[in-house]
Order: sequence, then C-alpha cells, then structure tokens
Amino acid sequence: MKRTGFLYDERYLLHKTGPYHPEIPERLTAIYEGLAQGGLLDRLTRVPAAPADLQWIINVHTAEYVKRFEAACRAGKQMFDSPDNQMCAQTYETALLAVGGILEACRQVMEGRLDNAFCAVRPPGHHAEVSRAMGFCYFNNVAIAARFLQKQFSLARVGIVDFDVHHGNGTQHIFEDDPTVYYYSIHQHPSFAYPGTGREFEYGRGDGYGFTKNSPVLPGQGDEDYRRLLERDLFPAFADYKPEAIIVSAGFDGHRDDDMSDTKLSTEFYTWMMRQIMALAETYSSGRLLSVLEGGYCLRQLPELARQHVEVLLNG
Amino acid sequence: MTRRVVTIGPEASIFEAQDLMAKSRVRHIPVVEEGSMLVGIVSDRDLRSALPFRYFKEGISAEEKSKLQDLRVKDIMTRKVFTISPGYTIQDALLMIQNAKVGALPVVDENGRLKGILSVRDLLRAFVNVLGIGQPGTLLCILVEEKVGQLKKIVDAITEMGVSFGSVLVARYWEEDKRAVFPYLLTQNVAHVKKRLKEMGYTLLDPMQWYLDQLPEEDRPPDQPRS
Repeated sequence: MKRTGFLYDERYLLHKTGPYHPEIPERLTAIYEGLAQGGLLDRLTRVPAAPADLQWIINVHTAEYVKRFEAACRAGKQMFDSPDNQMCAQTYETALLAVGGILEACRQVMEGRLDNAFCAVRPPGHHAEVSRAMGFCYFNNVAIAARFLQKQFSLARVGIVDFDVHHGNGTQHIFEDDPTVYYYSIHQHPSFAYPGTGREFEYGRGDGYGFTKNSPVLPGQGDEDYRRLLERDLFPAFADYKPEAIIVSAGFDGHRDDDMSDTKLSTEFYTWMMRQIMALAETYSSGRLLSVLEGGYCLRQLPELARQHVEVLLNG
Repeated sequence: MTRRVVTIGPEASIFEAQDLMAKSRVRHIPVVEEGSMLVGIVSDRDLRSALPFRYFKEGISAEEKSKLQDLRVKDIMTRKVFTISPGYTIQDALLMIQNAKVGALPVVDENGRLKGILSVRDLLRAFVNVLGIGQPGTLLCILVEEKVGQLKKIVDAITEMGVSFGSVLVARYWEEDKRAVFPYLLTQNVAHVKKRLKEMGYTLLDPMQWYLDQLPEEDRPPDQPRS
C-alpha cells in the first residue's frame, strides 16, 4: 500500500458562489463523504493547509493580479473578471489556502514522507490565466505547484495530465513556451465546450514547441475514444519526456451523468485512466504523483468517483 | 480590409512583381497608375502561368531570364477587376468572392482610387470574430420549430440567467419546418441553461448530429470556388 496524502480542509467550503452556480461547497463534502463511507480516511495521511506564501503565487500570476483579486474580495465584490467567477468575502483566503495545502502536499511527496496525494480543494485552478480569472478559477493551483517543484526541488521536467472535460487554457498558456513542463490535456472538443482552446494543432510555442499536447474529443463520445487517444497521445509522449513528477488536473465533469458536458465517460473508465497515470508515474517519476481537484459537478457521482480515484492512489 | 496595400506599376517587370509578392507574403497585388488609380490586379497564379515551371524549382538561365525581362505586369495582369467600395458589408464581400471565384477584392473609392484590399484571409478573420470563437465560451445546439418568436424565447431565457452571448447562428435543419439554433454562450456554466431550455420543451441536439451533408441535395449551398 502507498502512503497517500489527503488534502481537505473545512475552510475550503467557505468560498461561496451565487445562485445557479455548479461550483459549490457540496462538491467537496460529497467527495469527503465518499472517502469516509468507503473506509478510506484511516488509510490516508491528512495534509494540513495553511495560506500559501505569496512568493510562490507570483511565480505564475502577476503581483498586480493578486492585488486586484484581494482588493475585489475585500471590497465585497460578488464577481471577478467574468460572470463565471462569482465570489464572496472568503474567496481570496480560500484560494490562498488551496494553494498552501497543495504546496505542502508537494513538499511531503518530494521529501519522501508521502508517495502521492489527492488534493480536494476549492476553488479550482486550471482556467486561471497569468492575470485573468476565468471559468470558476482564481489561482492556477497546478501551475503554481509545478513551478514550486522546479524551484524548491530542482526538478528539470514536470508532467501535467489534465483530464477535466474542459481544456486547461491557463495551465497551457503559462507553460506554452517552457520545455521544462509538459502539458497534456484530454477534453471535450473546443468547438463545443468551454473555453474554446485546446485544439489538436496547439503544440506550444518557441522553446516549448512540442511540450504541449491536446486530445480533443467530440461531444457524445466516451470511454472508447478517450482510451484510444490516451494510448495514442499521452503514453508515448510521457515515455519520451520521462517527467520527474506528475501532477494531475483531476476533473470529473466528463462523467456521463455530469450536465456540464456532453462527454459520456463511465466511473470505471476514470479508474482505468487513473491506473494508467499511476503506472506512468511508477515507470518514469519514482511514483511521485499529485492529484489536484478541478471540476466535477454531479453530486450523486462524485463520492464514488473520488473513492475509486483514491483507491487507485493507495493501491495502484 | 488591409489599408496598407502593396502595389505595383503596370510597367514593372514580372520578376519585380514576383520578388515583391514573395517579400510581402501576399498573393494579390493591385496594379496602379499615378494617383492610386487602379488599372488591374496581378495574382500569384498569373505569375506562375507566365513564368516557366523551372523558375520556381531550380531557377532559369540568364539568357532565358533576359527574354522574359521584357514581359511587363501590364501584359499578364487581369484588367477587368472585381472591386468593392469601402461601403460594402462583409456579407456583400462574402457573396462577391464566392460568385467571382477570386481570392481578393481591391477596395476602390468612387473615383477608382485604390483604398485597400480585402482578401479571403481578411474574411476568415472577420468570420472568426463574428462567431465569437476567440472568446471563451460554450456552444449549444437547440432544435426549434420554424415559427416567429422562437429565438426571442431562447434569448430571453438565457438572458434572464445572466449569461452573455458571443454569437447566435441560426441554420437550416434537414427536417422541414425546423431550424437549428447555435448560441455561443460566454460561460462555462451551461448546465443550468440546458436544464432550463429542456424544461421549456426544447430539444438539445448533440452538435455532431448536425451536418450540412444531411441537407436535401437540391438545398445544398453551391460548391465553394476553388481558391
């Protein structure tokens, strides 16, 4: 059995969004309940969360953006940069706490105290750009974690696998000219799904050309197409790249019961996919694997999806 | 349109035209006389027809070149140019480019003076802009009966939910009396919009089920001109 970390903090529930908004605190409680009822909590090591040091955040975002976000929050604004980004007085602190917890999980994995970790955080991060909040995201959690691994632990190659059903435009743009981070995303085709990026012909730019890969999947498709594309695109890419650590942008919104997309993945497929990613981490990354929650909005399916996800981290 | 147009005079040699085209990376050069008066247009295809094939592959001998040196732009240019005025709309230009089967339209004022040029590339950019696909959003596909007021109901419902539109495309559907409506919504949060539309009795189509191929044969749009 692996030593798997679990990042969860009740303060992650304090970020509240407005009516009709699917990114709600109940998503996290559903995940927590799923792990509790599956009897997994005793087998996990809880990772404590403290607000992140701003120095790590401004490795990705501009200081001006961070200030603007904090000021909007303190001023009681209910929306930031886009109508999708609804917020409350606690949003800024919650976002800092999400990053802080993730960096702690990174540290413990890198110091060998944990083998891997699942970070159940809110708000999510992969749509957040360098100086723009988008698609429910404020700080790009995964991008900040990747830069942290590089600066603090001198990793030369970090691999990111983003299986949220939406393309992680923020993460891709942050690393598109950087060959030291490989960004792979599989998602519903951008002609139909938010945010409209992540097309097959986006490979990165400059020195980073060839270190971004996207596998868009047409709406209505599911397990079979995903399996084929992962085998065609992700596995050989990581076999070549040999990342020293893998970060997963784990979004469960491609599930067939999730209304946020027209992608039809089964619960079993998510488990199969995570096993493959675990195997990649075992082969190339000394098992170092960090899974960070992005989307996933079906409260009925999230408990089981999270339970199986964490089972894989524990058992491979 | 492009206002800074690369132009050439009618007396220039075709080699000058070829060099200018390669250097400025354009495929159409309006030919102008004094005072920007448009007298013709020369395209990369005109040049390819005028020059031996070997010119582009391995080059030609000095002797051959000197023979062709006498060939002037005015000898190979198209004199009857399809032009548009600055007041034309994008739709005018789309239809004209399709009918005339050309790759670019010089824009001239009422006195025949060159004001700019509009290429297929410019139209593509305009179309990307019109579709709103440069902005983050989600595309829905709604099947509606073809009767007055359908679109209003959809737009009202979506507006009430505080969602902005990047664009709305209404297209024909292969069933008679039906239309396919494609709102491009500037949001990630579409679950509640879809739910609302279903409650209102609309059918949401998988956008992949909508193919132009499935239109009845005679209703198909005319074939696109080859560029």
